[in-house]
This record gives sequence, structure tokens and C-alpha cells, in this order.
Amino acid sequence: MKLTFDAETESFRQTFVDWLEANMPPEAATTERPSSTADLPQWARDWQRTQFDAGWLVPGNPPEYGGQNATLIQQFIHNEVLATRHVADSFNPQALGIIVPSILTFGTEEQKERWAIPILRGELTAALGMSEPNAGSDLAGLRTKAVLDGEEFVLNGQKVWTSGAHDADVILTFVRTDPDAPKHKGISCILVPTDTEGVTRRPFGSYISPEDLDFNEVFFDDARVPAENLLGPLNAGWKVANGSLGHERAMLWLNYSAALDRFVDEFRNAVAGTDAADDDRLVDWYGSVAIDAQAVKLLGYRTLAKTRRGMIPTEQSILKLFSSESNQDAHARAIEELGALGLDHETLSGPFRHLHLDGYMNSWFDGYLRTFAGTIAGGTSEIQRNIVAERVLGMPR
Amino acid sequence: MDFELDEDQIALQSAAAEILQKECPPSLLRAVIDGKGVDDDLWQTLVGLDWPALAIDPDAGGSGATAVELGLVIEQLGYVADPTPFLATATQFAPVIEASSDAEQRRRFLGPIATGGTGTLAVAGPTGRWDPADPPVSAERTSGGVRLSGRASFVIDGDRADEIAVLAATDSGPLAVVVPRADATVTREPAFDLTMHVTTVDLTGVTVPDDRVLAVDDPTAAFTAALESAVTGLSLMTVGACQRAFDMALAYTKERHQFDVPIGSFQALKHKAVDMYTLIERARALGLFAALCIAEGDPRRPLAAAMAKAAAGDAQHLVFKHTVQFFGGIGFTWENDLHLYLRRAKAAELIFGGAAHHRAIVGRHVLSGADL
Ligand SMILES: Cc1cc2nc3c(=O)[nH]c(=O)nc-3n(C[C@H](O)[C@H](O)[C@H](O)COP(=O)(O)OP(=O)(O)OC[C@H]3O[C@@H](n4cnc5c(N)ncnc54)[C@H](O)[C@@H]3O)c2cc1C
Repeated sequence: MKLTFDAETESFRQTFVDWLEANMPPEAATTERPSSTADLPQWARDWQRTQFDAGWLVPGNPPEYGGQNATLIQQFIHNEVLATRHVADSFNPQALGIIVPSILTFGTEEQKERWAIPILRGELTAALGMSEPNAGSDLAGLRTKAVLDGEEFVLNGQKVWTSGAHDADVILTFVRTDPDAPKHKGISCILVPTDTEGVTRRPFGSYISPEDLDFNEVFFDDARVPAENLLGPLNAGWKVANGSLGHERAMLWLNYSAALDRFVDEFRNAVAGTDAADDDRLVDWYGSVAIDAQAVKLLGYRTLAKTRRGMIPTEQSILKLFSSESNQDAHARAIEELGALGLDHETLSGPFRHLHLDGYMNSWFDGYLRTFAGTIAGGTSEIQRNIVAERVLGMPR
Repeated sequence: MDFELDEDQIALQSAAAEILQKECPPSLLRAVIDGKGVDDDLWQTLVGLDWPALAIDPDAGGSGATAVELGLVIEQLGYVADPTPFLATATQFAPVIEASSDAEQRRRFLGPIATGGTGTLAVAGPTGRWDPADPPVSAERTSGGVRLSGRASFVIDGDRADEIAVLAATDSGPLAVVVPRADATVTREPAFDLTMHVTTVDLTGVTVPDDRVLAVDDPTAAFTAALESAVTGLSLMTVGACQRAFDMALAYTKERHQFDVPIGSFQALKHKAVDMYTLIERARALGLFAALCIAEGDPRRPLAAAMAKAAAGDAQHLVFKHTVQFFGGIGFTWENDLHLYLRRAKAAELIFGGAAHHRAIVGRHVLSGADL
């Protein structure tokens, strides 16, 4: 147990920081705001490509996939530098974090060439089609159907919440291919190009603003997709859904941790010059947020250290739950503590934070609304609690 | 940061768990509470294992391990609600003595710990504020040494410590003085943790020779630093006690059936269990971080200790209320062992400042721009 990493690791960090400072696009070049999580302005495509070519996009990958075969600890350092500097590697995060790893794990060589590499280079963008109107937490209850007809799958059904679908070139779509099998065993995963006839995308506003268009309904009406677009074996879609939660996702906590750290800083700035430090109630609450921020980091470090040693990092299971709820409570209290100042509402018109994904939403209120993405998307807090209780604590189903 | 235990640390942790659960079962605690048994054998076992002197410098007769190893043992002591004078000796008394620049003094007062000597520190006044800037005891230099006057409150193990480290105010600034317990008038006070010795130490009229005045430049700073060790130790002891209560309640949810199913299948209990698990892990991580900061002499140690104590307090609050509830009526009985551990966790919250006190320290510190 040591407070610092070894010299070799620190020198890796310095190498990346130096590279970043030399290659990050300047603020003036990044003023065009991405309008969804699959909308890449040219500067964002170029930035992603620059990282890809230099092996810094996904350092753990081999060079042909934008990496340098970095070790786990090096991947962590890379993520930590980006997170603490609030620099986004990609403005199509679901593609880099979930879709590409799924293709690289389960795809054929052709699929990696056709989809993974162009997505990594920022030439194509992707969306994730899992949820449906009647299949949210109960994802395995999904009903969108795909039937093999000769050399093609024919898709019918509907997805919803599909972030960025209207700007995406391809949707990683989970479909039912065996209606008679038990529900987890009849699911497959298909790459559906969005220009396929019979695919209709309808973006709709989030509660942040009617102009915050990221959510989509996606309809499939006899949409025909080549059979070769099946990712992984037929009816093995559930495995693909779970398998994409590999190393990349194991480091997602860094983003939550960075969000909490950012909160601690921003709230301090917001009350600078006031007599906030004399308000015992406020100090008490703010202290607990700072404690949460530190605890998330420590639990994350512990997860990393255990993973490295081949131990099972049970703490990992609570990182998303704990940090997303803490971040949410912090924002709610912040608005209330700010009183009338909390009414400030810059929303989409506010300045776009240089290279930072969450910089769209600038008011404290919008920040609070955003925190519910953490407690709903990717498995709600309630579902997370069920999973931890059953799998970590061994409580009966 | 490499935040995982190495092999030796893991071995120490599991040895401590195994030995303590065997040597300190609930029946021992009950015997001590009922006045039918004593904890001498347990203390001798701990001494035999060299644990009280674990983090003490080898030059002064200790084992030379760090605050991290000590912390691991303390967590396991919390798991069994240790009734011995371990905590005050290792995390309160020893750190004060270590501040002495006089090697002879360090050997004299730390050396005996390896063979079962005990100690504590006295700094709180009757209101229970542990503030080294405002000690309840004062001193006067006399020809025979230093004459003390005043009473220190909430001294842990004052009745069974061989030596008591006292911070005493004088006209020319405070002194750190080591008083033989035999010279003081010590009263054990009633406390709801029935195996914790909470005492009042009256020092009025006690004179100690000059060689019992510690050679420290800044006695207030020495006591402040010792309190950081004390707070970290109590935090990890709380984590251990919480873990025990949690393990008991969790096991019960798998055994007890109602409505023909194990009660652990009820989601209301599952979600509470996860919330307890989360707060215990949060407190454990911060407790070990504080121990690591102490071990490495990191400047964040005051902040880290305050975070650890606040998090331990948050954990015990939730664990107390949920675990009793998990047991239903059985949780309300004297016979159920749960309360033995909950008493320790709650008592630890009340000593050296509770969660709210430490959150305020953290809040002010970070609000003023300090880095985490
Ligand atoms: C910002 C955002 C972005 C998203 N992006 C995408 C995307 O790109 N692609 C995609 O496929 N999906 C996406 N989603 C959808 C997301 O995965 C679902 O919203 C989520 O899985 C919850 O499903 P639901 O909305 O149908 O809620 P429901 O499942 O209907 O849940 C409603 C409430 O019931 C509770 N509940 C449900 N089941 C249980 C249970 N067993 N035990 C206890 N409580 C339960 C839930 O916790 C919740 O509080 C996104 C969602 C958000 C908010």
C-alpha cells in the first residue's frame, strides 16, 4: 500500500501529458458544439483521429485499433489524466466505451475492419439500441424481432432512448431472434446501418430543453440488414450485452469521480467571497460531499489494485451507485444552498466548455437534471442495489 | 496510488481475524460485563503477538511496522469489540511519546509497551472537547519538578493505564508530561459501552520530576498529531464493529424465514443491506487512507483522519438502525449479541468528536481551497 505509483508509471503519465499538451486542439478550434452524443463536428473527428493515429485513443488496444498495448495501470493513468483535466477523448462516448469493445470482443475480422476501425477513427458514429418502450430495466424482455430471410435479417419493432441515433451511422441493435427460447436465450445483436430502408429515427427533447435532442425513438419496419451484420453467435446477444462491460467500463467510475471533484471545485468557486464558511449547515453538507469525492477515488484505486492482482474487486459494484447518487444529492443541495442565485439558467446558450462533454449544460439546475442519467441509464440505482445484494452479499433472489 | 494490501498485510489481517475471533468471543465480553471474567488473558495474547508495539520504532523496543499494519489489527479488534487497553496504548499514548526528541525518553516510555505496558492520554475537559489548544490541566514548575492541577475527563483506560500523557498549560506555554497512573486519582465513569473504560483523571496536587516532561518543541502540535492517530484508530475500530453487526444481520436474513421465504429475499432489506455495505466500504477506504497518510507522513493526514472519523460515524449510524431492524424482536433482546458490537460502534462515534464535528473540519478545510 503506497500513496504514489512507481516511477515507471509516473513517467508514462508524463509522456501522455506532454503529448496531450502538444496535440490537443486549441480552444478557438473547438467552438462548434456537438448537438448530440453521436454528432461529431469536424474538429471532434480530427481530435479523435489524432489520438487514434498516435496510439492514445484506447491505449490498451493494439496499434491497429488506436492503442499501444498499454498495461492495465497505464490505461488507468490515461483515463485519470483525461478525467481530471475534463478532456473528452470522444464525443461519441457510447461508441468508444461500449460499441467498439463489443465489436472487438465478439466481431469477425471483417466486422472490425468495416465498423470498429472507422468508428475509432471518428469516420463513423454509433448508437446503442437496447431499451424499448416495454423493456427498460427488464432488458431481456425486449421484443424487436429479427427473422432470417435468405441472406438478410428482417427487423420489426421499436427502440427508445437510443442516444444520438439520429446522428449515428450505425446502431448496435439487440433483437429477439428466437421467440420460443427462454427470454435471455433468444436475443441476438445486429449492426444496423441507419440508412437502411425501413429504419426511422425520431429524436425527442429531454427535460433539460426541447432543443436538447439526444433521445430517439427508432422504428424498424421490415428493415433488411445483411446476415453478416450479426455480432457474435445467433441467440448469444445476452452475452454480448454483458461482455461489453470489460476493462473500459471498469474505469467509468473515473468520470463519476471527476464529476464529484468538479462539483467540489465549482461550488467552492460559486460561494467564493461570501460568508458561506460561517454557515455550519452548509459546511457540514459540503464536507460530506468532499468526503464522498475522496471515498469514490479510494474505492476506485482499490478496485484497480485488486484487478491488477487478479483478485475480485467487489467494491467496483458500488462505485456507480454510490458516486452517481452522491453527485445527485450534491447538486440538489447546491441549488438549494445557493438560494435565489440557484435560479440562474444559462442552459444551452452558455459557453461550451473546451473539449468537455458535459459542458453543454451550464446552470446548476441543468447540472442537477443531468445527474439522473447516472442513476437511471446503464441500470437504475434500484437495479444496481438488487445486483449487489444478490451477487456480492449473497442475499436470496 | 497503490491502494491494496500486500501479501504480508493480508496475512496479518487474516491472522488477526482468526486469533481474535477465537480469543475474544461474545462470551468473553459478557463475562467481563458481568464482572465474572477479566480480559487479562486476551491482553497477554495480544502482547505475545507483539501487536500493541506493532507500529513503534524498533529503537524504542517496537516491531517497526507502520500505522497501516496497526490499522488492520485495530479493525479486527473492532470486529470483536476488544475489551483490552489496546487502542489507547497504541494509538493515543504511543504517538505522543514518539514526538519526544529524547531517545532515552522514548525507550523509557515506549519500551514497556512491548511487554504489556499500557498508557493513555488526557486532554479533554468536562465538556468533552478534545482541543489541545485548551487543556483542562495546568502546571507549575517547582523545585521538585512540575506540579499539576486540574481534572481531565473522558480519558480512555485512565484506570488501567500504567502511564498517562497529559498536556498541561503553564504561563510560558504548554508542557507534555507523563504521569504515573498510581499518582493520579482516577474514577471510572458509567458508559453504555460496557467494556470501554471511560474515566475522569484528577491530577490536582500531583508532582512529577523533570525527566517526565517530554522533550518536544511544540507540545500542542504533538498532542494534535497524536489525536489524528487516535481518531484514525477509533475510525477503524468502528469499521470493524460495524462489519461485525452487518455480518450478523446479513447471515440472519439468509436463515430467518417469513411468508415461507428467507427474509433476505425482501427487496426492502436488500436495499438497506447494500446501503450499509456501501457506507462500511466508504469508511474502511478512508480509514486505511488516513492510516497510510500517517505511515507516510503525508501532509494530508489531519484532513484524512477527519474524513475517516466522519465516514465511520456515518456508517455506524446506518448500521445501528438497520441491523437492529433486520433482527426484528430478537434484536431487542439482551441475549442477542448484536448490541455488544453496536455499543462499541456508537461509543466510538462519541469520542474525539463525532461525524458532524469532523465533517465541519473537512468542509471548512476544502472550502478554504485545500486540495483533496
Ligand atoms: C440519459 C439517458 C440515456 C440513455 N441512453 C440509452 C441508449 O443510448 N440506449 C439504450 O438502449 N437505452 C438508453 N437509456 C435507457 C436506459 O437504459 C433505461 O432508461 C433504463 O434501463 C431504465 O429503464 P426504464 O426507463 O424503462 O425504467 P423502468 O425499468 O420502467 O423503471 C422505472 C422504475 O422502476 C424501478 N424498477 C424497475 N425494475 C425494478 C426492480 N426489479 N426492482 C426495483 N425497482 C425496479 C426502476 O429502478 C425505476 O425507478 C438511456 C436513459 C437515459 C436516462
